[in-house]
Amino acid sequence: MFGLMTAAIDNILLAPALAQASAGEYLPAAAVVALCAVAAFGTVLLLPGPREGALRKIGGGVLLAAGGVLAGLIGRGDAADPAGFYFWFFAAVATIGAVRVVSHTIPVYSALYFLLTTLAGAGLMVLLWAEFLAAALVLIYAGAILVTYVFVIMLAARAQQEHDTHSREPMLASAACFAILGVLLVVILQKGSAPAATGDIAPAASPDATRTLATELFTDHIVAVELAGVLLAMAMAGAVVIGRRGAPPLAPLAPATREIIGDDNPHNIPVYGIDTARRRQA
Amino acid sequence: MNTFGEPLLQRYLVVGAVLFAVGLTGFLTRRNLIIMFLSTELMLQGVVVNLVAFGRYHHNLAGQAFALFLLVVAAAEAAVALGLVVLLYRRRGSIDAEAWRELKG
Repeated sequence: MFGLMTAAIDNILLAPALAQASAGEYLPAAAVVALCAVAAFGTVLLLPGPREGALRKIGGGVLLAAGGVLAGLIGRGDAADPAGFYFWFFAAVATIGAVRVVSHTIPVYSALYFLLTTLAGAGLMVLLWAEFLAAALVLIYAGAILVTYVFVIMLAARAQQEHDTHSREPMLASAACFAILGVLLVVILQKGSAPAATGDIAPAASPDATRTLATELFTDHIVAVELAGVLLAMAMAGAVVIGRRGAPPLAPLAPATREIIGDDNPHNIPVYGIDTARRRQA
Repeated sequence: MNTFGEPLLQRYLVVGAVLFAVGLTGFLTRRNLIIMFLSTELMLQGVVVNLVAFGRYHHNLAGQAFALFLLVVAAAEAAVALGLVVLLYRRRGSIDAEAWRELKG
């Protein structure tokens, strides 16, 4: 079915353009720009806004079609299909999950679709022979960061509100972002001239890939590892300070202590926290 | 598949670019602060794919190491950003970005 689709696209739509484009790029820039314009139109329809559900579904369909055409065009030369089925599967799941993250009106569903995107990304990592990174993505992103997001969503969000169902400037944002995507794709899909180095990182089934990564981290990038630890500690302390509800009011000093110390806040340094003033009044 | 040639690299870069652009669209479009930060994480996800693909293409592990540090930065950013969101919610009772309109230049 995939072959039929690519053959149809080749023969019917783009044969003359493709013949011209084989010189310097894998895909003619005009095709990329046209696809980005169509996708931007679909995105504007799909983003949350004061329009009915049918229009949003049409927008989603247009976006899906544009993505499918792009995938077909990129994958058309795969006689032996070097990317394999799994790449297309994980790429499709990641892209569709990402689009649903930004276009779903219920925040919890956005977080769950982001979980799906992260798992698809972990699959792509495995295909790129980065198994430790795949496990780290699942553990850290899906397991820690997303759970924190779901907690905060449960804490701070109520049932469907206006700020979920309306977007700000969908047309400008889509135009800008798909312009950026168009430029990126045109640059990516050009034929390079430098050949890749021979050899490879490690055999695919080697059990030592993690060991190699760890050795490299702790010899070549040891300073960065230490700084990363410091950064995490600082972020944890910062998050605790930011989210604090304020220190409880200081207990009054005993008279004997006050004779010795005098005033314990002579410069009137304010006690940190937004609720302290309220507590003092109560 | 033992050789990671240019066509294969380009497919992964396209996936990374698409994830980045979709995350950017979400960040500029949504009004819910939490979804805005989630879109930022989506952009970082695209960058991770990009980095690891280049690491594989150039046959060294610097891409994976950089991606690990990117994961650390994403976790730190998520912690501080969500603390800020909770604080802002306590101030105004809403996680709508439009509730802080007066911060616009």
